[in-house]
Amino acid sequence: MAAQQTPTNRTPLLIPCSYLTTEGNKTGSWRFLRPRYEEKTSPCSAACPAGEDIGRVEMLTAQGSFKEAWETVMMENPFPGVCGRVCYHPCEQQCNRKEFDEPVAIHSLERFLADTASRYELQLSLQKLESKKQKIAIVGSGPSGLAAGYFLTLLGYQADIFEALPEPGGVLRWGIPLYRLPLSILNREIAQIRELGVQIHCGKSISQEFWRGGKSEYDAIFLGCGHSRSVPLKISGEDLAGVKDGLQFLADIRRGEVSALDGTAAVIGGGNTAVDTARSAARFGAKVILIYRRRRQDMPAFAEEVEMALEEGVELWELQTPVNIAAQDGDFVVTLQHMHVIGKDGQRKARVKPDSNKKKKIRVQHLFKAVGTEASETWYEPPKKTRGMLRLSNCVLLHKSREPTLVYGGDLVADIKSVAHAVASGKQAAIALDILFHEGLDAVRPRLQSCLVAEGPSISWETYIGGPRSLRNQRVVRYSDLNTDYFQFAPMMIQPRLLPEERFQSFAEINLKIGASLAIREAERCFNCGLCNQCDNCQLFCPEIAVTRDNNPRGRHINYDYCKGCGLCVVECPRNAMILEEELLCDTS
Amino acid sequence: MRHVLEGSHAVSEAVRLARAQVISAYPITPQTHIVEQLSEYCANGTLNARFLRVESEHSALAALIGAASSGVRTFTATSSQGLALMHELLHWASGARLPIVMAQVNRAMAPGWNIWADQTDSLAQRDTGWVQFYCENGQEVLDTTIQAFRLAEWVNLPVMVNLDAFFLSHTYEPVDVPDQKSVDSFLPPYKPRFQLDLANPCAFNQLAPPNIYMEMRHNIQMAMDEAFTFFEQMEEEFGTILGRRHGAVEAIRCDDAEVILITSGTVTSTSRQVVAKLREKGEKVGLLKIKLFRPFPLNLLRELTKPASKIAVIDRNFSFGASGIFAQEVKAALCNFPGHPPVYGYVAGLGGRDITTEVIEDIYWLTKNSTAPENESSWVGLREVDHAVGQS
Repeated sequence: MAAQQTPTNRTPLLIPCSYLTTEGNKTGSWRFLRPRYEEKTSPCSAACPAGEDIGRVEMLTAQGSFKEAWETVMMENPFPGVCGRVCYHPCEQQCNRKEFDEPVAIHSLERFLADTASRYELQLSLQKLESKKQKIAIVGSGPSGLAAGYFLTLLGYQADIFEALPEPGGVLRWGIPLYRLPLSILNREIAQIRELGVQIHCGKSISQEFWRGGKSEYDAIFLGCGHSRSVPLKISGEDLAGVKDGLQFLADIRRGEVSALDGTAAVIGGGNTAVDTARSAARFGAKVILIYRRRRQDMPAFAEEVEMALEEGVELWELQTPVNIAAQDGDFVVTLQHMHVIGKDGQRKARVKPDSNKKKKIRVQHLFKAVGTEASETWYEPPKKTRGMLRLSNCVLLHKSREPTLVYGGDLVADIKSVAHAVASGKQAAIALDILFHEGLDAVRPRLQSCLVAEGPSISWETYIGGPRSLRNQRVVRYSDLNTDYFQFAPMMIQPRLLPEERFQSFAEINLKIGASLAIREAERCFNCGLCNQCDNCQLFCPEIAVTRDNNPRGRHINYDYCKGCGLCVVECPRNAMILEEELLCDTS
Repeated sequence: MRHVLEGSHAVSEAVRLARAQVISAYPITPQTHIVEQLSEYCANGTLNARFLRVESEHSALAALIGAASSGVRTFTATSSQGLALMHELLHWASGARLPIVMAQVNRAMAPGWNIWADQTDSLAQRDTGWVQFYCENGQEVLDTTIQAFRLAEWVNLPVMVNLDAFFLSHTYEPVDVPDQKSVDSFLPPYKPRFQLDLANPCAFNQLAPPNIYMEMRHNIQMAMDEAFTFFEQMEEEFGTILGRRHGAVEAIRCDDAEVILITSGTVTSTSRQVVAKLREKGEKVGLLKIKLFRPFPLNLLRELTKPASKIAVIDRNFSFGASGIFAQEVKAALCNFPGHPPVYGYVAGLGGRDITTEVIEDIYWLTKNSTAPENESSWVGLREVDHAVGQS
């Protein structure tokens, strides 16, 4: 073989080579910055009045763990089916993803989870805490009362709800039209609350005598009585026979007491009740005019609802206010005063005043008033400041030594009157009472403070009971905190809906169901701000192989013998679920 | 068996015959044909090798450093900017003593963008510890590439086989492609002197403090010296089996030459014609082709240029602020050699400009008619240009 002729006196080779393990080189000794896993607060969850753990809900949804996702919502809000439909979703306005492309359709996913739970008859497996001796009465079975009952029962208390009307639900049942909230959804979520052990006594009116004079068997009373009476227009003719109240009209529809409406209907007002009244009247065949004293952009009704009302043929007359109503041959003649905007166009509602003497008259066959609502009894509302009163963000606590503690909640104490705020109110009341019973009045504020989501005002049930969420930093993750290199552009899902021409035919729900694959795709758009979804970037990028995966429930840990504090893991974490801190130079242990 | 082959494919055939085991490259004109052919060979099973696709030349060489450390035969190919991007890893490959073989198609460096022949790309890497060959034709490319594996694996140094862009890479010539058996007998399977081994874990190339670093560098130089002697023995063997020798340098009619032209790469072929023609006219001219650039064949050069009274070096490359690079090397080789002939440096054909027989003849006459070199390099055939940009 030719190859054998090659010389054999090769120059010896000299290269660095070690058979020792490099584990002896503890690069952790170089560290002056220390990375650490630390979950933070997502802006959506801070914006949710009910403090839902949205980032985690979407993570679980994206993983197909629908039951766990649903229960994660249920831990903070017993009404995902309702809120997924009727909430004005302030969460989406704060979604970091909107800086990237479009926000995540959080409300659609919440609804999807509730619908899925309903479809598969999922049973809630939240554990009630040990039984307590105190009993709480709840006046009103609206969302705040039901939420209070739900959370008090979870805390181990006996909660009895008293409802004057024959069925529970309050505004959810009587004030929200079926095309927005089908009854089956409401009934299921109320049934779940009942199954948990909340007693609901319907057809039972309560007066102040219920607790006065120290004879009550209850340790506390939650008052969630809501607005049940319309605010008057304060104009001549408003009390004419046949002039209807919007809220009453909506309740009448639910009772099946409304038949076809011929001719033209005018609805006075710009809030959600006005819009619901207008859209419902349209479904009964009326040509509807919605009359509002300010402009469309000033309407307190949710913009999306106004948009759909217009799609459905409702006419909006802006800058008009009724000054007189007269009856004429069974019709109403309404005199409208033109208004004009005064002052600068600001962020808030425009200020308006009558535009000289410009007036016009319209003749309508039906007239609905919906300019606002108020409590029907003055004692439903908290008194002016008195001793033992604690004004909390979503309820007012009135502690008395010889009588049951009163907690005022729901719409009557809320600045923004929404279902989510009502849930927040019931939850805060339940937690506040638990603190009061165990630690006294002075402990209520500081203890509530410790379970705020971010800086509040929403509070977390899971944090209060010491669940994993209590380990989160309250700092809100901002868009600039994320590493968006790891996300791809994907537009928000489009909510399938009935066509406007289909909507007239019935009170069928307008927003249609979405399938699991669409829900997963939408949930995958979520950045899960501040939360670890185990993407393993930290492990992948660690130059010292100091990030290890193990059976630790949090999934990963950092071996500080070798972590040299380069911070790559923190920078490459797409979700800001890690932080880099200065190393303490002297070991105090 | 003789085939009409493109210069690029002469490389591909050589790598196939050498049974490379891991190939990684990133496409770049005018190199791409080489690895295109090889990727096909990997895909269709002609060559039992792993072809690693990467996102850059830097990664291509990094991947081969890993592969070669595990004790397999490795190959890459690049050109110009691609080679420049590999720079850091060129040092690593030689320092780590990995016998990686690279085909390097000599192309001009940008800017301005120019894809044509120019040797500055590889000559700018002369200090990276790679053995460097400059080939003249397709046959030499094929033979040298096969030899490169043998040499690299013997001395544990990486080897770069250079060929001129287009003049060689894209030109078809008859090339004798040896049979596999002959190549196998010349180039047996690679037996690494060290390799990563899961059964016996170790770490290579970690810290080398001052008390040992210098010895390691000297060890590389010893390997370079050995490469020179081994090359000659290896060529003997290659000649025995395959019947061809190219030599580290080739002297053509230098014995009685008064003027010796020194060339490298394809310009050598053109120079052969000029020398033949001038000899017919009675001019005492010789031609010295330098094929092996690193290690530089100092002693051969000293010996072979002895008869001459003048040396003219033609460089298709340039070191700014100095001169043509081969001219520098030749001068450095001769300066400690008393009575050596004067060295005339000529820069020609940069960026793919033709070096015609007329250009070479001009160089000869300029050298012959000169009494002494007037400067370090004369730029041949510079055109009058309008300096349109940057004038105030």
